[in-house]
Amino acid sequence: MIENPKCVIDARNIVKIYQNGCEELKVLDDISLQVLKNDFSVILGPSGSGKSTLMNILGCLDLPTSGQYFLDNTDILNAKENQLAAIRNQKIGFVFQKFNLMPRLTALQNVMLPLLYRGVNEEEAIEKAKEKLDLLGLADRLSHRPPELSGGQQQRVAIARAIVGNPHLLLADEPTGNLDSKSSAGAMEIFKELNCQGNTIVIITHDVEVAEQVEKMFYIRDGKIYDKD
Amino acid sequence: MFIPEAGDYLKLRQLIKIVLINIYHNKTRSLLTTLGVIVGTATIFLVVAIGNGGEAQVNEQYSRLNVGTVIVMPASRGRVVDPLTENDVHLFMESDNIANAFPVLQGSGDINYDNYTQGSRFMAIYPEFQASNHLTIEQGRELNQEDESRSNRCAVLGAELANTLTDGYASEIVGQSININNRKFEVVGIYSRVGDGGSGMSNDDSAFIPYSTGRKYLLGSRANPIIMAQATGLETVQSALQDIKAVLDETHRMGGAEQFRIMDAGSRLVAAQESARTMSMLLLSVAAIVLVVSGIGIMNVMFVTVKERTKEIGTLKAIGAKKSEILYQFLVEAILISLAGGILGVIIGYSTVPVLEFFELPALPSISGVLIGLIFSVITGVFFGFYPAMKAAELNPIDALSYE
Repeated sequence: MIENPKCVIDARNIVKIYQNGCEELKVLDDISLQVLKNDFSVILGPSGSGKSTLMNILGCLDLPTSGQYFLDNTDILNAKENQLAAIRNQKIGFVFQKFNLMPRLTALQNVMLPLLYRGVNEEEAIEKAKEKLDLLGLADRLSHRPPELSGGQQQRVAIARAIVGNPHLLLADEPTGNLDSKSSAGAMEIFKELNCQGNTIVIITHDVEVAEQVEKMFYIRDGKIYDKD
Repeated sequence: MFIPEAGDYLKLRQLIKIVLINIYHNKTRSLLTTLGVIVGTATIFLVVAIGNGGEAQVNEQYSRLNVGTVIVMPASRGRVVDPLTENDVHLFMESDNIANAFPVLQGSGDINYDNYTQGSRFMAIYPEFQASNHLTIEQGRELNQEDESRSNRCAVLGAELANTLTDGYASEIVGQSININNRKFEVVGIYSRVGDGGSGMSNDDSAFIPYSTGRKYLLGSRANPIIMAQATGLETVQSALQDIKAVLDETHRMGGAEQFRIMDAGSRLVAAQESARTMSMLLLSVAAIVLVVSGIGIMNVMFVTVKERTKEIGTLKAIGAKKSEILYQFLVEAILISLAGGILGVIIGYSTVPVLEFFELPALPSISGVLIGLIFSVITGVFFGFYPAMKAAELNPIDALSYE
């Protein structure tokens, strides 16, 4: 095994098979993929291509049937459940298509959550969350709850939550899928800006327009991945 | 190779904060969920209060009467064909199991002091009666052997009676004279208050005169006495009862012991305790059923809550919440809901105590009642909250995230 210290994602021969009764469904078929530090990559694929499954595996929410996956040189397949939770907490920042904010918590409390689950004390969490919300232009929305915010604002809260813990990898699943074109462009600008600041970003999408704005593109179809540099 | 430590957990303070936000958001539902716990906890609190009250009452009765005391009286309230005699008293005394026996006469009439008349009970007693009934002197002196042998026309009053006759200035009556059924007596003392035994007639409301005086001046020599006997000890009470029955069968050939009621204080109190215990058990099982039903209610609501928040649980797992953290979160929610119900229940139980007292059910609120009530409410929350919380914790993050 060659360890590349600059390699954030190092997935090798990933296979994922779902058992559907006695039928075997091969969703991911021998996928190998590398993402280097400070890369901005997109995984493009139509629905049913297996891109969500791949994203779940890359995000350590699911384990492959076979293959190897090193995230930031950590062997994910040999990690225990609690370690996976800690890895998700500290190494990965998720941005979801539907934002997935806690509806009863304020914007500030939402952004604080990943830090709180890390055992960070309240004062420090408030300070860091404010900093990120400020960065994303939401300094005047700290005590608003998600239902009181626009879609674009909610997505910015979600992005703030994803980056608040300084993750090694920002993983965005259709981040513009629920946004109008203006907010969508705004979100892409944020990702580009975050990438310039040194964040490693992977966006999973079916939207070719989104994909074309990104320097490095993987194309996934029927469970197979193609490099499309 | 670096694997993050799994040992960093959400701090309890933060966990409770998040849970409180969730409960507050669902306040109507949370309140409805607590209703059962409120009733259950209030019942438990009252069970303990009633238990304590009953025990206190029993103890008070113990303090009023020697445990070894046996009372013999005619079974029927009407005219007594075959009355108890002083001969019976002497025969009782011959038993090895009986330390002492003496007759007591009861009468009622008007007691007059300083132009005020009060209908009351009076008792003609031997000096020994005072010790047997735990009558102690508050002021003045008690009745003694000399009063008895000389048939002195003196009286000692119960605390309440002395109060009533003097309109609150009881102390002034000692040394003064009163009339009982128009006969003059000198008040030589006042007994300390013994409290209401719950039997209706209290020694506090009575006047006491020497036995011989009572026969001579008020009740006549044909009055029917009751007999109080004192067993040599608690363990000889049963034998003493046997001896008394034997004597009565022997001396009262017309009807034997059957026509008399023989009561011993000990077994009466045991019976009272027994029924108090039965009452407590009954209430306790009601409380248990209420708590189980309300626990099932909590479980139900928690299942709905978990279902509603499935997507949130998935999100929490994605941002790094551990299985145990999800478990605790829902468990703490169930516990806080039931604890809130418990606290409300204790408050409601506490405010019900005056109502019980109005119905003459002795209830004595206590810290132990509060604690037992709260402990049971929390146990309900833990027990019935655990399964839904476990279900939430075990959710697969992918399924939870894609749940709509």
